[in-house]
Amino acid sequence: MDVWLWGATALLVGIAPCGWIAIRASRADALVALELAGTVATLALVLLSEGFNRASYMTVPVALAFLSLVGSLLIARFLGRHL
Amino acid sequence: MSAHDLVVDALVIAGVTGELLCCLGLVVARDVFDRLHFAMASTTLPPFLIAAAVIVEEDWTQPGINALLIAAVLFLVNPMVAHATARAARARRFGQVEATDAERRR
Repeated sequence: MDVWLWGATALLVGIAPCGWIAIRASRADALVALELAGTVATLALVLLSEGFNRASYMTVPVALAFLSLVGSLLIARFLGRHL
Repeated sequence: MSAHDLVVDALVIAGVTGELLCCLGLVVARDVFDRLHFAMASTTLPPFLIAAAVIVEEDWTQPGINALLIAAVLFLVNPMVAHATARAARARRFGQVEATDAERRR
């Protein structure tokens, strides 16, 4: 394992506290945890792509970066009104 | 280990450490607004450090440009997400986004 894969592993471990907050805290706190988990997962995928030396894998974190932001915006919109 | 490898390792370790500190901050923060601060801090410097590591490793090829694009998207779009989240959290807590009477008197 090189530094890329060690870094990706460490980032994936960092998603665990986000999940704990999402389960235990309020809905607004859970949304914040989801946003942070999206960022961490995106960067973990970047590191995995480099670690496996596959340039084509880099399209996945690009898509996730856009989709997680749009998803968070939609949930925030509904959170204030309906949830 | 060459200087090139040292630079890449240092950038990756710095980026990952920054992200993990933000995850730790999410847990120790007291309320949603403090937590939002840590969540948004994770989209500022650490993604650019990781993108810099990829560019040092791969030069200006497709992976390097994609990593920089990801860092730029996270940095530029997340303030909108933070604003929307803070508005929603405030609406849930106080029933309104505008300042309350007690806040106006302060």
